[in-house]
Amino acid sequence: MTDRLTTLKTVLWALVGVLASVTVIRFMYGLGAVTDLSDAAPWGLWIGFDVMSGVALAAGGFVLAGIVYIFGLERYRPFVRAAILTALLGYAAVAVGLLYDLGLPWRIWHPMVNWQYHSVLFEVAMCVMLYLTVLFLEFLPVILEHRFFQGRVFQNVMKGLKRISILLVIAGIVLSTLHQSSLGSLFLITPFRLHPLWYSPIIYVLFFISAVGLGLMTVVLESLFSNYFLGHKIHIREISGLGLAAGIVLWVYLALRLGDLAMRGLLGMAFEGTWQSNLFLFEIGVSALIPATLMMFKRIRSHIAGVGVAAAMVVGGMILHRIDVSIIAFARPEGVSYFPTWEEFAVSIGIVAGGILIFLFFVENLRVFEDVEGHPPEPEREPAATTLHPLLPKPLALPKNYSIAFVLGAVLALPFLPLGGVDPVPVPTQEPRTVEAVILDPGLSQPRILGLARAEEGLPEEIRAVFSGEMEASLESGDLPAEMTLDTTRVLMLDGDRDGDLVLFDHDDHAQRLGEEQSCATCHHLNHPLDQNTSCFECHSDMFDGRSVFDHDVHVAELGDSDSCIQCHTGESEVKSYETTTTCNECHQSEIQRKAFVDPPPEHWGDAVGYMDAMHGLCVECHEVKAAQTAGPGPNPEGLDRCMTCHDVDWREDVRKMEPGRQVDVDNDDRMAGSSSSRTPGQ
Amino acid sequence: MSAAILIDITRCIGCEECVLACKEENDLGPDRLRKGQEAVDGLSATRFSTILRKPDDHFVRQQCRHCLEPACVSACLVGAMQKTPEGAVVYDSELCMGCRYCLVACPYGIPRYEWDEAAPLVRKCHLCHHRVVEGREPACVESCPEDALLFGERDQLLAEAHRRIADNPDTYVNHVYGETEVGGTSVLYLSDISLGFLGWAENLGEGDLPHLTWASLKKVPGVIVGMGGLMGAIYWVVNRRMKMAARAADGGAGMDVAAPMDGAGSPETAATDAEATASTTESQESGDDDD
Repeated sequence: MTDRLTTLKTVLWALVGVLASVTVIRFMYGLGAVTDLSDAAPWGLWIGFDVMSGVALAAGGFVLAGIVYIFGLERYRPFVRAAILTALLGYAAVAVGLLYDLGLPWRIWHPMVNWQYHSVLFEVAMCVMLYLTVLFLEFLPVILEHRFFQGRVFQNVMKGLKRISILLVIAGIVLSTLHQSSLGSLFLITPFRLHPLWYSPIIYVLFFISAVGLGLMTVVLESLFSNYFLGHKIHIREISGLGLAAGIVLWVYLALRLGDLAMRGLLGMAFEGTWQSNLFLFEIGVSALIPATLMMFKRIRSHIAGVGVAAAMVVGGMILHRIDVSIIAFARPEGVSYFPTWEEFAVSIGIVAGGILIFLFFVENLRVFEDVEGHPPEPEREPAATTLHPLLPKPLALPKNYSIAFVLGAVLALPFLPLGGVDPVPVPTQEPRTVEAVILDPGLSQPRILGLARAEEGLPEEIRAVFSGEMEASLESGDLPAEMTLDTTRVLMLDGDRDGDLVLFDHDDHAQRLGEEQSCATCHHLNHPLDQNTSCFECHSDMFDGRSVFDHDVHVAELGDSDSCIQCHTGESEVKSYETTTTCNECHQSEIQRKAFVDPPPEHWGDAVGYMDAMHGLCVECHEVKAAQTAGPGPNPEGLDRCMTCHDVDWREDVRKMEPGRQVDVDNDDRMAGSSSSRTPGQ
Repeated sequence: MSAAILIDITRCIGCEECVLACKEENDLGPDRLRKGQEAVDGLSATRFSTILRKPDDHFVRQQCRHCLEPACVSACLVGAMQKTPEGAVVYDSELCMGCRYCLVACPYGIPRYEWDEAAPLVRKCHLCHHRVVEGREPACVESCPEDALLFGERDQLLAEAHRRIADNPDTYVNHVYGETEVGGTSVLYLSDISLGFLGWAENLGEGDLPHLTWASLKKVPGVIVGMGGLMGAIYWVVNRRMKMAARAADGGAGMDVAAPMDGAGSPETAATDAEATASTTESQESGDDDD
């Protein structure tokens, strides 16, 4: 037991603690709360690192098993158990990582019962699952060696396992071949998204070969790790042999990868100087070219530092390759970036940390390294000297440092986590605004052409560019007709359908051209009142106004869920329908008055009225005045103050179909005539 | 047999009636977005279709193409995505496990995910399959005030599209988008501008995508037999050699180096060989167990 090891374990426990906190948030609030994933970047670090790289890193298991059990190279036997254990834990980590990444992780068993042989991912899933089982069976004898399992039953199981062990090894190799390559095949279906320097019709071959090279180098790194932290003997001759083998495999990989690109005439792309080509060159250099070259020299590979550096390069470089394929070189639409959040890193790192801790646990308790005569267990400390409190249960009290590190990690992570979940932003909309515009009046019968007089603050950049850009362009190009005059006016800026596209709407101009006061009804009553989408396009094909006039959900949310019902549906015994609600103006009276169309706000950035308010500005006030005149105590006999008087009962259907003629009917009614004509809408 | 939609870009005025009809039909609720959700083309988990605005008053409807050979269906490992005989590519939320390979695989980048749900689902246009099986048109088609959307049999729509091109060769680009792209789609476009921006590539090519995957998948049985056989054969040869070497060296002493394995991996191995190996294996392993 070394101090190094204690430090390492303390750090690892803290990382697992952080993982624990992130886990809670991840499963409470979903992927969106803790990841930077989006529709444009559906796969991120958890796939690129945990799954793609995790499987590749675990390739040491089947490679070493093959070398020792199939090819009979006995001198590599000391590595084989550790390699299989690493593979087992690696695949377990892949499975755990997948649980975080899957949207519905409790359905991870679905592929097993619903076979889809046409899906690469199905093949990967089945192979990984089977291989995980095989790895477990391969490693089980090591566990059964422990004195705890000396019972007859266990020993019989052990004998049985040993009888089929060569079958397990072969099955492991076949399964590994299949899914190591299939992880590459996953991207065969994305020829348009994966950058050509990484996409290849033989990408599955490349994935397999690189996994073999990477697996060998992982074993090298692992034995250096066990030397550094556990003080195990270094088998430098065997390690250098593994290095040489990896070097040769990497040359094959290089030849295939570059040869394939050359044959398809794409090799030139690598030298175009784009970021992709630079990334490609860097990745090829680090993952294969440099280490493969280094390993060709006996003096370098016979030295721990030499082979260690090469192994680290291959491991880092191949992880980069997997991440390149699944994330970096995988096309996203312009403007969409993906960079993992700290939570994503924390999960990836935490899973690895947990894996290492389990690895160390096995190493300390089982004969994982065959040449080591049982690892000296961690010296038991005196509980009295270290426990926080003697009353604590023993597991918590004993290895105090680790518990504290774990809890500390978990607690320290909390302030940085979105504990209340993340609310998606409502689609940003531009409220109608009055702005100053320049009139470019050609003096013809055409509508006036408008441009923003100045760059308005608060406008999205691209929209500002369009509006003022058009202006400046036409002014600078000198295309303006000589008779064109420059004048400014105040107009409404509308984002009718709330998609960010703005329209400058010159109300004065409309009124003027359509017949002044008589024209109001042309627009405001030609349209369908309360329709969910006011059809501006009936006159203009380029102007839109889609807006939900009465949003029941919003009202419910604003007024407080279940308590809110009776606030509008006041009659307790009545059916809750549109007929039985209170009228809109009972709550909104002041609002309607304030925002009435006839009184545009004077400020530069003031709110302009929406369509509904404009309508109500025209109608409601008169209705109210009239209602007050005709009404005695109790409900108004004419129902003039009720929305339903104008807006028919079935608002979804009938209102939509409500004819403009209805307004005419009301106008003709002499009770309404006076007040109606006295109003002068318009700015 | 196979239903389809023909979208005539030249007729679309961009009123988004279809978008709203779709929202209503599928009860999608108000849009709420996270970074990146709308950046592509306005589609989101609450918007199965949208209108892309292009210069000079060109309005291009974006929606699922319902490919004839859909990449998403081929990619899905649980069969949650299915191409129905009626033409729609539909999604079964009961089967989905949330791997999002369909989002990765789609050549048009259509499927969307409910990133903010604790139990998220994939969302996309399903060609109003529930209406189509009742003999009704999809909601978007029904709502279009300009007849820019046409619903019908794919063959008839293709004929109609070619007729329109023939009638107005100066207006249209001489290509029915979706006729052959990635094996053909059930949503066809007629346009007076190039619609290359609608997919991940300017020119998607005629080959369907699942066959690219199949090139690798069809090798699986071969790999199983080949790799298994190869490993078995190598093991058999190596094992035999080692045993012969051991025998040549000196009787039992050399047995320690023999691979401690059963010979069952190679069917060719003679039964006697296997038994001999097994016995050595056990003796050696039991020796190991002592320490």
